[in-house]
Amino acid sequence: MGKLFRRYWQPVLHTDELPEDGCPPVRVKILSERLIAVRTPEGEYGLMDEFCAHRGVSMFFGRVENGGIRCPYHGWKYNADGQAIEVPSELNNSEFCKNVKLRSYPLVKVGDLLWAYLGEPKMQPPLPTWEFATVPSGQTFTSKRLQESNWLQALEGGIDSSHVTWLHGGGPTGAGLEADPLFAGAKGNQYNKGDVKPSFEVVENEGGLLIGARRNAEEDHYYWRVTPWVLPNFTLVPPRGDHPVHGHFWVPIDDENCWAWSFDYHPTRDLKEAEVAAMKAGAGVHSKNIPGTYRPEANKDNDYLINRDKQKTGELFSGVEGIAIQDSSLQESMGPTVDRTKERLVATDAGIIKARQKLRRAVEALRDHGTEPMGNVPEHQNIRSVAIVLPADQPFVEGIGDGFEARAGVRQTTV
Amino acid sequence: MTTPISVSACARAATAEEAAYRIDYPLAYARSTRVVAFDETAAKTVRSVSDGPWGKAQFYTTSDSGEELITLDGERRPMAMEIEHSDSVIMVATNSIVSNAAAAVGVACRERSIMTAGLLLLDAGALGGDALSALRPYARILLVPADEEDLFELLKGIRA
Repeated sequence: MGKLFRRYWQPVLHTDELPEDGCPPVRVKILSERLIAVRTPEGEYGLMDEFCAHRGVSMFFGRVENGGIRCPYHGWKYNADGQAIEVPSELNNSEFCKNVKLRSYPLVKVGDLLWAYLGEPKMQPPLPTWEFATVPSGQTFTSKRLQESNWLQALEGGIDSSHVTWLHGGGPTGAGLEADPLFAGAKGNQYNKGDVKPSFEVVENEGGLLIGARRNAEEDHYYWRVTPWVLPNFTLVPPRGDHPVHGHFWVPIDDENCWAWSFDYHPTRDLKEAEVAAMKAGAGVHSKNIPGTYRPEANKDNDYLINRDKQKTGELFSGVEGIAIQDSSLQESMGPTVDRTKERLVATDAGIIKARQKLRRAVEALRDHGTEPMGNVPEHQNIRSVAIVLPADQPFVEGIGDGFEARAGVRQTTV
Repeated sequence: MTTPISVSACARAATAEEAAYRIDYPLAYARSTRVVAFDETAAKTVRSVSDGPWGKAQFYTTSDSGEELITLDGERRPMAMEIEHSDSVIMVATNSIVSNAAAAVGVACRERSIMTAGLLLLDAGALGGDALSALRPYARILLVPADEEDLFELLKGIRA
């Protein structure tokens, strides 16, 4: 699976984590590698092995200088590509340097994020084109939080629509969807409430799957909420009314932790101040983090601040505040990597079963035949989630048509 | 209400080390599953998958009316009695689906609150609206398109 992930660009940092030329370096752990990200005084981004090739000290303590970063222990200096360019202790400095290079990876800015590609250079795919990262800056907002479980547990929550009615439910005065400023007021919410037992259709798509949840709407019509999953770790949430579209990237830090990147964007308008304020406060799919960190304030050390009174009254079905933490609390509670041999899946888990199958097939095809996996090219990334009302006998893919395509200046298909 | 934090709080309970203390016991087959093919192509897939390591799963084709289920050995049995004690019915079909049969089985499942899933095998071409219309009202979850491996994985996943 690690080799599969190395065929994709993955988000690794907010641009504001390396806010200016020559700023301090930042530690990055991804795909079980410890790396250091730098932004040189000349504005070059670099991502390389965290540890100096000399004695293995952490370059986090390094000094960023013109042309790269210098180890504070004995002064070895590396450029943004990890190539040693000065080794002060060596007489024949330049010749020795040629043979010293830290493993490094491309780090590029697309939108408000820095993306890394950790695979073979000759197999590097096109730069990411996800709409949330390519709309104008004022139209998008991205947060991240540490999730202390493996990435697949988190992803499976993203494509498991059947948990929504339960876990994210709240009573009439509670923190249900209508109480969240990023969801409230949409007609789709009425359909959600009117039919609490959705049926599902899982449809093959070029980049992964489309998972449609349908509920009864007006006579002979269904209200569809369609969640795309693009291999290996990208999901979108269906939109509501004129609210922004949201979604996630689940990026493996190691086998037992991942970054949950959560974004909101609107294809045709700037985000409103009130919307951004709500996102920063942890509403919608975002979380309220411990200041200066990406760890949520409600975390496993404090039992996610579960409120048993609100749970008992039904104000919050789970007793935990916020959609993001409602998800992470339960996904982390399964343990860092749940024992899937102990699962008792049901038929409505077919989306998860199908996603696992596609991931396994992609891993095997890459391993056995070198087949390039789906999802790392623009044709698979120019995708949107959709919420729509359609006639009952219509295939939803047909009814939605080009509503799945991310098209600049065209509003999302939403109810 | 404040929440007391005990030593067994999530921080400890959710570690890999603590996971080793979880009670280990074999899972019983949870599903008494019926797998029904609604046309000849679907029947080939169902027949192929039926050789798997299943517990209580049983495999059938149907009469045109759906009033009878036909075992893979050719024995005809009343549909209503066959599904009576099942807890999930997997409906497998292609564009050649016999709608009446699907409706009969679907209605019977609905009346008995039996979980249903539908798999539309579409090797022969694009999805036809008729096939979708035949299964959609009765399948709580529908896989489009599906293949033999999907059926195998679904049965394995639900411990059929």
